[in-house]
Amino acid sequence: MTENGSIQISNGNKKTPKKFPMVERFLEGWSVYKENLIGKIGLTLLIIFALMALCSFFPPMIDPMYHPMTGVDPLISHSTSPSWRHWLGTDFIGRDIFCQLLAGARIAFMVGISAAFMSILLGTAIGMIAGYSRKIVDTLLMRLADMIMVMPTLLVVLILSSLFGQLNIWTIVLLIALFRWPGVSRVIRAQTLSLKERPFIEAAKVAGASHFRIIFRHIMPNVLPLSLLYMTFRVTSAIIIEAALAFLGFGDPSTVSWGMMLQWVWKTGHMFQAPYWLLPPGICISLLTLSFYMLGRAMEEVLDPRLRKEVAQE
Amino acid sequence: MKEPNKVILQLEHISKTYRTRASLFKGDPKEVVALNDVSFNIFKGEIFGLVGESGSGKTTTGRLIVKLEEPDDGKLLLDGNDITKFKKKALKNFRRKVQMIFQDPYQSLNPYLSVYDSVSEPLVVHNVGNSETRKDMVRESLNSVGLSPPDDFFYRYPHQMSGGQRQRIAIARAMVLKPEFVVADEPTSMLDASIAIHIFNILADLQKKLNVTFLFITHSLAAARYLCDRIAVIYKGELVEIGSAENIIQNPSHPYTRALIQAHPKFRY
Amino acid sequence: MALLTVKNLSVGYHTRKGFLKSVQGVSFTLDQGKSLGLVGESGCGKTTIGMALMGLLPDNAAVTGGEILFEDQDLLKMSKKEIRQVRWKKIAMIFQAAMNALNPVHRVGEQIAEAILAHDTDISEEAAMKQVEGLFDLVGIPLDRMRDYPHHYSGGMKQRAIIAMALACHPSLIIADEPTTALDVIVQDQILSAIKDFQNKLNISVIFISHDIAVVADVCDNIGIMFAGQLVEYGRIEDVFDKPMHPYTKSLLASYLTLDKDAVQPDSYLCKPPDLINPTPGCRFCERCSVAEAACSLMAPEWVEISSTHKALCYQCK
Repeated sequence: MTENGSIQISNGNKKTPKKFPMVERFLEGWSVYKENLIGKIGLTLLIIFALMALCSFFPPMIDPMYHPMTGVDPLISHSTSPSWRHWLGTDFIGRDIFCQLLAGARIAFMVGISAAFMSILLGTAIGMIAGYSRKIVDTLLMRLADMIMVMPTLLVVLILSSLFGQLNIWTIVLLIALFRWPGVSRVIRAQTLSLKERPFIEAAKVAGASHFRIIFRHIMPNVLPLSLLYMTFRVTSAIIIEAALAFLGFGDPSTVSWGMMLQWVWKTGHMFQAPYWLLPPGICISLLTLSFYMLGRAMEEVLDPRLRKEVAQE
Repeated sequence: MKEPNKVILQLEHISKTYRTRASLFKGDPKEVVALNDVSFNIFKGEIFGLVGESGSGKTTTGRLIVKLEEPDDGKLLLDGNDITKFKKKALKNFRRKVQMIFQDPYQSLNPYLSVYDSVSEPLVVHNVGNSETRKDMVRESLNSVGLSPPDDFFYRYPHQMSGGQRQRIAIARAMVLKPEFVVADEPTSMLDASIAIHIFNILADLQKKLNVTFLFITHSLAAARYLCDRIAVIYKGELVEIGSAENIIQNPSHPYTRALIQAHPKFRY
Repeated sequence: MALLTVKNLSVGYHTRKGFLKSVQGVSFTLDQGKSLGLVGESGCGKTTIGMALMGLLPDNAAVTGGEILFEDQDLLKMSKKEIRQVRWKKIAMIFQAAMNALNPVHRVGEQIAEAILAHDTDISEEAAMKQVEGLFDLVGIPLDRMRDYPHHYSGGMKQRAIIAMALACHPSLIIADEPTTALDVIVQDQILSAIKDFQNKLNISVIFISHDIAVVADVCDNIGIMFAGQLVEYGRIEDVFDKPMHPYTKSLLASYLTLDKDAVQPDSYLCKPPDLINPTPGCRFCERCSVAEAACSLMAPEWVEISSTHKALCYQCK
C-alpha cells in the first residue's frame, strides 16, 4: 500500500523553502507593514534620527571645536544664534548646539534601546516562568511585579541619586530596566497561560521535554513577537525618563543628552532668550518617542493577523 | 503481527472526576465524572478502537494513558509496570515508548518550528543520534507518512501546509522514536472525510511495519471498523461493550451501541 | 419555474498573492421544496457560493461573472438595502460552527424572538415569543428550555436553536453550511432528521454544503460535486451515486467508510492543493486523476450529458 499511498510533491512548486525562514517571515511582515501610513512615517523619522546618531561622530573629526562636550569655539564664548559656522548656534560657553543634538540622538538611542531591551529580557523571562509555573511561584513573581509597578520610577531614581550622588548613565539604564519589567511580564504571563493549554505544548510534554525546554524552546518563540512589540513602547518611556532625570539635574554630567541640553538652557537662564537652543532638543525628544510609538502601532498590525494565520487547503 | 497473548497495556478500575471550583457566577463546585471504574486490556501489536461520543470519557482515557493527567483511582500498567508511579528516569523512558497523535492538526504543531524541528524534537529531547543521523531518522519518518521527497518539507512551516499535511507531520513526530504504543485521539475529526481514509491507511501501514500498538479514539464506528481489530464502546464514562469490530457491529448487545449503529448515515445506493 | 437559478457564477478573492479564483462558472437550479447538496473538500468554493447567495461576501471578494436568479430577480444586481429585505426573510443561512453564533449573555428564546422582530416590525413581542414556541416544537427542543442560556444547551441543542432561528422568518430557501460538523453521530442523525422534517412540512428548499458525502446522501434530492472552484458532476442523487462518472466523484465515494461494505482503496494522493490563482488551462483534476490523458491538461473539459438528470465535466465519461 505504501507505494500507492505515498505522496508525490509536484514540481510545480514555486521555490524550494529556504534555510532562512526568518528572512521569509520578515519579508512577509514587511509587506503588511508597508501599507500602514503611520508605520511608514514612524520608520522614516526613525531612520532620520538613526542617521543623526551615526553622524554624531563626524563633526569632532572635522574640527575639534565641534565636540559636544569639550569643543569650544575659540571665537565665541557665549550663546549665539544660528550661523553658517554653527548651524543651530552655540550654547552658553560656545559649544556647537547642532553637534550636541547629534550626540544626544546617539545617547537617546543607546539609552532607549538598552533599557528597553533589558526590561524586556527580564519581563519576558519572568512572565513566562510565572505563567507556566504553578500557583506559588506565579503568585510570588506577580506580587513582586505589582510592588514594583506601583513605585513611581522617576521618584525612586531621584531619591537614589540624591543618596548616592550623580549616577552613571549605565546605572540609570539599569534602574529604568529594573522598574519597567513588570508591565511586560503581565502581558507575557497572560499569553503564556493561554499557550500552556495548546496542543503543541502538550505534544512537547508527551515527547518528554523538560519544563525548561518547553518554556524556552516552545513558548518563547510564540511570545517573542509580543515582547518585541512592547519593547518599542518601552523605548519611549526610557527616553523620557532619562530626559527627565537629566533635566532635573540627576543625569550623568559627562554625557550630552537632550535632557541635559534642556537642563543647561534652564540653568543658565536662557529659556526664553535662546529658542534655537531650547526648541531643538525638546522637539527631538517628542519626535523620537512619537516615531517609536508609531513603529509599535504598525507592528501590532503586522503581528496580530500573522499570529492567527491559517492558510492552505487540502 | 499481533501477539494475542501478550498484553501491553492494562487499565484496572480507572476513575477520574473533574471538579470545578466554586465561583461567584457558577455557584457550587460541580463534579463531572469523566471515567467510572473502567477496565480493559490492549494486546501488543493490535489496533484497539475506543468509540464514544463527546463527553463519553474517551479523550480522557487517552490523556491518562500518556500521562497528561493522572487518574483519581485505579492502576495503569504498561508491560506490567504501574505507570502512575513513574518519576524522573522511569518517566523519561516511558515517554520514549508511549506517544500521542492529537486531534487538531492546526494546533498540535508549534507555529514557530519548522517541520524538521518539530519532527526531530523527540530525538533531541531524548538525546538520540547526532545532527546527521537525526536528519536520516526524520527523513525516514516523513517518508513513512507519505511526504516525499522529505527534504522538500524540512524547512517548511505549519502555516504553509494544509490540514492533512500537518496531521501527517504530527504522525511523523509521534513515530520518529519508534514508540511501542501510540494513542491516536480522533486524528481525522478536523479533516475532510475524503482525507480521512488516507490517514487511516498510514496508521495501518505503520502498525504493520513497526509493530506498534495503537489506541484509536474515535466517534465513528465505521472508522473503527475499518482500522481496528478490537473495539470498546464507551458511554458516559463507562465501558459498555468490548469485542472484535465485526462482532460488535453484527451483534451489538448494548442499547447504546445499537443506537450508534442505527444513527450512522446509510448509503441507500 | 425554478426557485433559484445560478448561471455561470464566478467569484474570486483579492489576496496579497494575487486574485484567487474561488468559484468558476458554476451553474445549477433548485426547485421549491427540493434540496441540493454541494460536496467538495475544503477550499473548493462551496462556502463561497453560499455566501454569495446570501450577499455576505467579505470586502476583498469580487463577483466576476454570472447571475443568481432568485424568484426571477438577480441577487447580484440588487442594492444593499434590497438584499437585506431578501436576507433572512426569503433566504436564511445556517453557518459553519453556528453553535458559536448564539450570544452567550442572552437567553436563547429571546435571541430567536429578536430575529423575528428585526424582520417584522408589525408583530408584538408576545406574538414573536409564541412563534418561537412553534419553532422550538418544530425543531424538537422542549419548551421549558426557552428561557435558558446557550451554555446550558448541548451541542446538538444549540444547533437546533440555530436552525429554529433560520426558520424564524419563514424563508423559502435555507443554506446549511456544514451544519453537522463537530457533532456526534447520534446527534448528527437527529439534526439531519430535523432538517428533512421541516423541509417536508414547510416545503422549504435546502442547499446543503458539506465535505462529507455521506451526510448529504440521506438528505438531498440533487447533488453537485465541486472541485477547485468548479462543479464537476451534477444530477439527481440516485443517478450520481449509482453511476458516478467523474473520477473525483468516484474517489469521494470510495473514501466513504460504511458499517457493512468493505472500503475501496483510494488512489494515491497528491499533496499539492490546486492552484486557484493561476489555474491550469485544462482539467483542474488531472494531476490527481488516475485516468487522465495528455489532452486533459491542455483542454478545458466540457459537460457530458449522461442522462437528462445527470451530467459530468470530464472527457473520460463519454
